[in-house]
Amino acid sequence: MAETITVVLDVNGVGKEISVEPRKTLADAIREDLGLTGTHLGCEHGVCGACTVLMDGEMVRSCLLFAVQGAGAEITTIEGIGDGGELHPMQRAFSEYHGLQCGFCTPGMILAGIDVLRRNPDPGPQEIREEMGGNICRCTGYQKIVESVQAAAAEMSKEGVSA
Amino acid sequence: MTATQSTGWIGVSAPRREDALLIRGRGRFIADVSPAGALHLAVLRSPFAHARINGVDTSAAESLPGVHGVITADDLEGIGAFPTVWRLPGQKECHTPALAPGKARYVGEPVAAVIADSRYIAEDALDLIEVDYEVLDHVVDVEAALAEDAPVINEHMGDNVIIEYTFPGINALGVAGDLDGAFAEADEVITGRFRIGRYSGVPLETRGLVADWDDLRQTLTLHSESQVAHLLRTELAAALGIPETSIRILTPNIGGAFGNKWDRYPEDILVSLASMRLGRPVKWIEDRRESLQATVHGRQQLQEWQLAVRSDGALLGLKGRVLSDQGAHLHSVGIGPAWVTGAAAVNQYKIANYHCDVLGVATNKTPNSTFRGFGGPEAMFGIERMVDKAARKLGIDPAEIRRMNMIGADEFPYFSPGGAVYDSGNYPTALAKALEAVEYDRLREEQAALREQGVRRGIGIGSYIHVSGFGPSAILGMLDYYTGGYEGSTVKIDPHGRATLYTGMIPMGQGTETTLAQVAADHLEIDIANVRVVWGDTDQTPYTGFGSAGSRSNVAAVAVIKAIEEIKAKAVRIGAGLLEADPEDVAYGDGRISVKGAEEMRSLTLAEVAQQAYWGHKIPEGDQPGLEATYVYDPANFTTAYGTHVAVVDVDVQTGKIDWVKYVVVDDAGTIINPLLVEGQIHGALAQGLGGAILEEFVYDEETGQLLSSSLMDYLLPSFTDLPDFEIHHLETPSPHTEGGFKGMGEAGCFPAGAVVANAVTDALSDLGIEVDETPVTPARLWGLINAAGG
Repeated sequence: MAETITVVLDVNGVGKEISVEPRKTLADAIREDLGLTGTHLGCEHGVCGACTVLMDGEMVRSCLLFAVQGAGAEITTIEGIGDGGELHPMQRAFSEYHGLQCGFCTPGMILAGIDVLRRNPDPGPQEIREEMGGNICRCTGYQKIVESVQAAAAEMSKEGVSA
Repeated sequence: MTATQSTGWIGVSAPRREDALLIRGRGRFIADVSPAGALHLAVLRSPFAHARINGVDTSAAESLPGVHGVITADDLEGIGAFPTVWRLPGQKECHTPALAPGKARYVGEPVAAVIADSRYIAEDALDLIEVDYEVLDHVVDVEAALAEDAPVINEHMGDNVIIEYTFPGINALGVAGDLDGAFAEADEVITGRFRIGRYSGVPLETRGLVADWDDLRQTLTLHSESQVAHLLRTELAAALGIPETSIRILTPNIGGAFGNKWDRYPEDILVSLASMRLGRPVKWIEDRRESLQATVHGRQQLQEWQLAVRSDGALLGLKGRVLSDQGAHLHSVGIGPAWVTGAAAVNQYKIANYHCDVLGVATNKTPNSTFRGFGGPEAMFGIERMVDKAARKLGIDPAEIRRMNMIGADEFPYFSPGGAVYDSGNYPTALAKALEAVEYDRLREEQAALREQGVRRGIGIGSYIHVSGFGPSAILGMLDYYTGGYEGSTVKIDPHGRATLYTGMIPMGQGTETTLAQVAADHLEIDIANVRVVWGDTDQTPYTGFGSAGSRSNVAAVAVIKAIEEIKAKAVRIGAGLLEADPEDVAYGDGRISVKGAEEMRSLTLAEVAQQAYWGHKIPEGDQPGLEATYVYDPANFTTAYGTHVAVVDVDVQTGKIDWVKYVVVDDAGTIINPLLVEGQIHGALAQGLGGAILEEFVYDEETGQLLSSSLMDYLLPSFTDLPDFEIHHLETPSPHTEGGFKGMGEAGCFPAGAVVANAVTDALSDLGIEVDETPVTPARLWGLINAAGG
């Protein structure tokens, strides 16, 4: 077996030291070593976006990074959004507007939606389609995801919350 | 909607109970199932389209630290393979083996499996297996496979024709048409030759399995995403040679299935066997490349049609030949989808004279099997393109030629010459509604004006039928389909008056848990919060041989209704005794059991009666204590959902790119249980239909037999920017054949999509004389057509 490296990952505000092979992906480390299985793997080659996490606030594909590259960054996964037990407005909107069916792409979609609103708090439907074009959904045909993100934007602006 | 409500749960957009976990990332998908001590399996797959396997040397792989075992075809002595469920007369047997025995027949076919401490090590070990391949000539084109000198893929068959099945044009009443007469009477014979591309469901979650053999109890617990767990259990027991009672199948959340996960696969056997032999839990998660190579493909057909028409637009007769490109082996449903194509090809039209030959042909490609739509979209592509060609030839508007040939609302039940019985509907109204929604007349005027400005706008119409609610089991028997078409449901009322519903259906994103809870709450007249739905455990749920599909809720819902009817009748009998009334004078309503006319005074809650039922102190003679019922509903007939789509597109002749202007759907799926979820299903099915219309394609290299689109960089799934907004309108014609009037609806959205796009693009380019007869209509393919036409 290959040598392992010790690395500290700071995920959802909790730092944890893990020992991984250098070739282990960040996605696998998050899922297997940290037990956070909300980050999903749909293609493992950077196309589908199911493994999306936020790294220092930026959207990244955890299947295209090695675990060791996560050291020193603040990583947020689907389990880390929302406020304590409260759902994030984006999560509520996805449910209310039927922005999910099987739910496999959903964690990545919700994080991508949050990322869009961070850059543009009031996007139109076409902007949402373009900004979220890197995440694939096979169930919804996207229209209801666009509606969900718009609804979350309206809700967040009403509440004065920023993404 | 109020927090608690006892009636009116059918027809409302109840929030999905599935969402609470999924939006938090707390769904439990197959990759999230990790028993302690689990080993990981990886599959070695053939890199060649057609190659004899003269030897497999696993010694280096076996000696790699962390490897626990290797399985090759030699290790499968006494282990069976999965049968083809649909066994049409004359169909040659060439079902899918667990591991390629002596010969690999397509790129991606399993050759060996490694079991190791981690997936990483298992994949390292795959690289160490030496396979002595003797590469053979291959064939990946369906017509080339029919040539006399074509390589024979399954030697025992003698050639590559698996079956030649004829639809003779006799309807269910035994009435035959007069095809020769129709062609003799015709003023024109329209011909068409269509290549429908190979694509598939490509669920975002690949397949996966976790098998856990308990050597002391001699039981196998299999975590599987199968859409038809009970049938998998039956077939797996036979393949492994263990009693079915030894197998329990548990279903986690499913990250999309789209029919692809209906089939039984070699890995079901390999992973189970690995766990049994090693005495450890074994996990296998398919990677994306494997998934594109080894999860079933769909659709691909080469169709040739002749349509006899009169100059006034009457469609007199249809004659066709469908070559279904089956790939190397028959998979779980055999040539089933192509059979459906033959049965459905006359669509909504009164074409009484019909003949179709369907050929299943083997090629060195991944098996072509179950995928949402199941032969229907292929049928719709053929007939809807043919009708458009006829309209153009005769100078009749494509909407008008459809309207004048449609089966009338007063002509049901309609006995089609394809053999199907259509139950109900109003086809002309659906068409009219779609035309009104797009403002068809205005569009046609605009189109002419835009053409002068150099904008090529096209309007495409596609009508469809979707024969759903398969099916009366006796009819499946007549079709040599070796499983039943029923769905069972057990409903138990607990002593506090709450309901638990057990279903053999397996939710895979459609919201089945929510819709079945709605049906139960509606019929028990209790709040939906008091209904629990149990699914995904073969130890608890009723047997279903047909399994879950997007169009099965209509059958499963009736089983729920029927079980609840029995419960209500029993509650009335018990309640009458308690109320000291004649059961005839007692009725169930609003979740209560009451004396008619004295509901305020002499009435018991369901909970009060249920408590009595479980105490068992005062059970009427002939009844048993407790309050539960099981009903297995076998549909009396198929249901026929239908509708019309209209697309408006602009085509850029410089690039071959299609831009969406509008997409309108009118859909009738009978009584709707949950409008929001129905809309979601239509959107999703349509997205898959449009994906195959414009982008998605499994491309094989003729020269090498390699699958070129074996990553998501090459196999293009539609993204946010590839699809339009959809405008959905409904009709609701309840099916007379099912209690509740439900029709299947989860698939219909994909039915006409390919034809609609091809018709719209052909319309946009009408002055160039281009006919779009091949899918997907990728920019490259379309640019090629435009270029060849001098545009």
